[in-house]
Amino acid sequence: MNSTSKPPSQDHRLVQTGDTRVSAKISRETISTLSVTILCLVLLFSARLINPALGSWSQVETVLILGFFLVVLSFGQGLVILTGGLDLSLPATITLGGILATSWIGAGNPAEWYLLPAVLAVCGLVGLASAIGVIWLRVPPFIMTMAMSIIVASALLGYTKGTPRGTAPDMAVALMKGDILGLPAPIVVLIIFVIVGWLFQSRSVYGRYLYAIGTNVEAARNAAVPVTAMRILPYVLSAICAGFVGIALVGYSNGATLRMGDDYLLPSIASVVIGGSSILGGRGTFLGSVGGALLLTILGTIIATLGLEFGFRTIIEGSIILIALLLLREELFQKLRSLKT
Amino acid sequence: MRDVFELEGETRRVLRDQTNFSHSELTKDTFALQAIGLRKTYGATVALERGDIGLKSGQVHALLGENGAGKSTLVRILAGAVYPDSGEMFLDGAPYAPRNLMEARQNQVATAFQELSLVPNLTVAQNLLLPKLPKAGPWFVSAKDTNRAGEKILARHGLDRIDPQAEISKLPLADRQRIEITRALENAGRVLILDEPTASLAETDWLFERISLARERQVAVLYISHRLAEVREICSEATVLRNGSAIASVGLADATDSDIFEMMVGRKAAHQRTPRSTRASGDKRARLAVKQLGGHNLHNVSFELRPGEILGVAALEGQGQQWLFKMLAGLDQPAEGQIYVDDQPVKLAGPRAALKTGSGIAYLPEERKTEGILGGLSAATNIVLPVLGSATRSPLISPTLETAVAQSSADKVEMSTRYLNFAIGDLSGGNQQKALIARTLATGAKTLLLFDPSRGVDVGTKQSIYTAIRNFADEGGSVLFYSSELPEIVQLADRCMVIYGGQVVRSFAGEDITEQNLVAAMLGHVTSENTIEVKA
Repeated sequence: MNSTSKPPSQDHRLVQTGDTRVSAKISRETISTLSVTILCLVLLFSARLINPALGSWSQVETVLILGFFLVVLSFGQGLVILTGGLDLSLPATITLGGILATSWIGAGNPAEWYLLPAVLAVCGLVGLASAIGVIWLRVPPFIMTMAMSIIVASALLGYTKGTPRGTAPDMAVALMKGDILGLPAPIVVLIIFVIVGWLFQSRSVYGRYLYAIGTNVEAARNAAVPVTAMRILPYVLSAICAGFVGIALVGYSNGATLRMGDDYLLPSIASVVIGGSSILGGRGTFLGSVGGALLLTILGTIIATLGLEFGFRTIIEGSIILIALLLLREELFQKLRSLKT
Repeated sequence: MRDVFELEGETRRVLRDQTNFSHSELTKDTFALQAIGLRKTYGATVALERGDIGLKSGQVHALLGENGAGKSTLVRILAGAVYPDSGEMFLDGAPYAPRNLMEARQNQVATAFQELSLVPNLTVAQNLLLPKLPKAGPWFVSAKDTNRAGEKILARHGLDRIDPQAEISKLPLADRQRIEITRALENAGRVLILDEPTASLAETDWLFERISLARERQVAVLYISHRLAEVREICSEATVLRNGSAIASVGLADATDSDIFEMMVGRKAAHQRTPRSTRASGDKRARLAVKQLGGHNLHNVSFELRPGEILGVAALEGQGQQWLFKMLAGLDQPAEGQIYVDDQPVKLAGPRAALKTGSGIAYLPEERKTEGILGGLSAATNIVLPVLGSATRSPLISPTLETAVAQSSADKVEMSTRYLNFAIGDLSGGNQQKALIARTLATGAKTLLLFDPSRGVDVGTKQSIYTAIRNFADEGGSVLFYSSELPEIVQLADRCMVIYGGQVVRSFAGEDITEQNLVAAMLGHVTSENTIEVKA
């Protein structure tokens, strides 16, 4: 049907209508990532109007440090959502990471260089258990991960007898409070994490496999994608990210609590959705999720500076998720595309 | 009234309806359903540029065009499923602008869709009668009356053998298509639209009889099909679409196949039937061999596939051919028998395992949309996906390299470069199929399993696919393919086996592969002459 691909024939006088129909050049993902980033900047600078203390460099630093946790979580959650799942075990896994880091390691432990990876590995096992339930026992992801969450949280309650003890490992403190090249360490780590995460999701073979599986498992299987391994991977990575956040939180606040992960579940899903991912899988980018995470963090700091109650924060968060979902519907993208061409 | 006009300096002629669309104001009352200048865009993609068509009562009108020419969009607008951006429609001279399928149906315009629109978990009778089921009392529907009414409808259309209480999802695809058509027939008082009605039907007798009866009732029928022979048999006129515009309406009696082909693609058909080479020599060891394979409804299937050989499979719908391909692709495990790759007995755990076994097996699944393409990903990614890591030589993908690798395979199926970076879901069916064929070629596998490689694609695309398959075999590759179209088997296959009732009933080679021979064997009509027994 594309006549341009054929060699042009001189004597061909038939009415050549030609194929003038073009396809959209700007992808849905680019549009949502851009709009989230612009929204972040607008909020950051318009916040100055409310309070001159806002929108300064030090506030940007604060946002990045506070946003660190959510960005890391949204990477794992984003991968699970990309393959059509949902990880509700994040809060318990965050707490697991935090409590193991304090009770196994604690401050001044010379063995932390191998114990910290061991903590992450234990968290990874939680993810593996979820994946096994989802793939082989065919339990719906949200039920399986919720069950894992309850199991892990209860085990931790028993393990700590209700009061977590111990102090933060030195490396965790250095991660959150240290400096690298004059910049706060968490910001440097965050930038590296975002680059690696973006390369993994958008530029690596594994990332492509995950997109393929999220689009259509059967078609991916037919296209010789290693489906089983690639369905396990996101749950394990998500759990490791959660464990990492648990360790980082311990370093930030110098101690673990049994409810330290509770406030991160909905924001982690919200970041991914605001960032333009489809909740049904197969669509979305990590950069979008990063934008979503930072947007939520900025809102949080603005609400905190305004001295609003915590309840308002959740109300605003809920409204934003709803608005984002409404705005991200297909029709809007159709309109935007046709405007730009 | 028609005439033939010549294009300046050209010997080629285009037949054009003299009752042209520009004079439509004068003639609109002669049409049962007429559409003028329909246009529909999806975002920046113009699916239909200028849709003009006129259907007359009691006549069967064909809609022809390559894949992606805009046929489906035009059909969906006429059916009320899609609302056009601009353009007008008239039903018996009165303005007609259905907002949905029900509104079209109230106007006695009914459509049988290619992607069947039946509710899979309801019964045959319920599907036939929806949305108005017989009531028992004010609130409840009556299952008994529903079944009785369904039974009557089935009997009226010669489908007594189908149980009205059967759940749609339990029926074979061909019967589901018959139900879809039956429902449209029931509701089509004025206009009946049949979109690829023979896509899943092995024989056309039942359908053509139904269409003749509808014609006698003065229903105007729009018939969309790729099969020109069928179109000639049943239709009197045809409208040709190309690149989203109606190119011409012609009387089929006046137009040769080559005229129509030229209007569809804008060039002459290249009818080269390459003489079968002697590439498949008997002494080479088999790439793929199957001994006494069984499982599901298959029994005792044995054959060998040698390097450079194209082996066709002919069968009616549902004779077990799907299971054969699934077992060979590793998607299903055989209950009995053994598969050999390069003379080694193998157990195939899945398509990825099959690809990595011996010289490699690549599989083209039956359903392009649900088992083949990955809609949101680019065509390039879709092509290189099976060999992503090795083709791009690192775990990180360079988009340039990815496109380059995809390009070399896309060239083999004559797929244009400019489509490679589009999301494959936005491409036409023909280009999607080309990309999937390119994918099997890109894997580097020496054996291809192609299930209906040219299903639902236009003539031009078909030729590109045939060429790619032949070239692959000429370079020493082995191909096992099933086709629902006999001419395809006749044109492509070096050898052909016919499956009936789960068994290989006959095998043909070379000149014996004729449509007549195949049809007889496919219907289970076994004679002993002119056959070569299957080598076990």
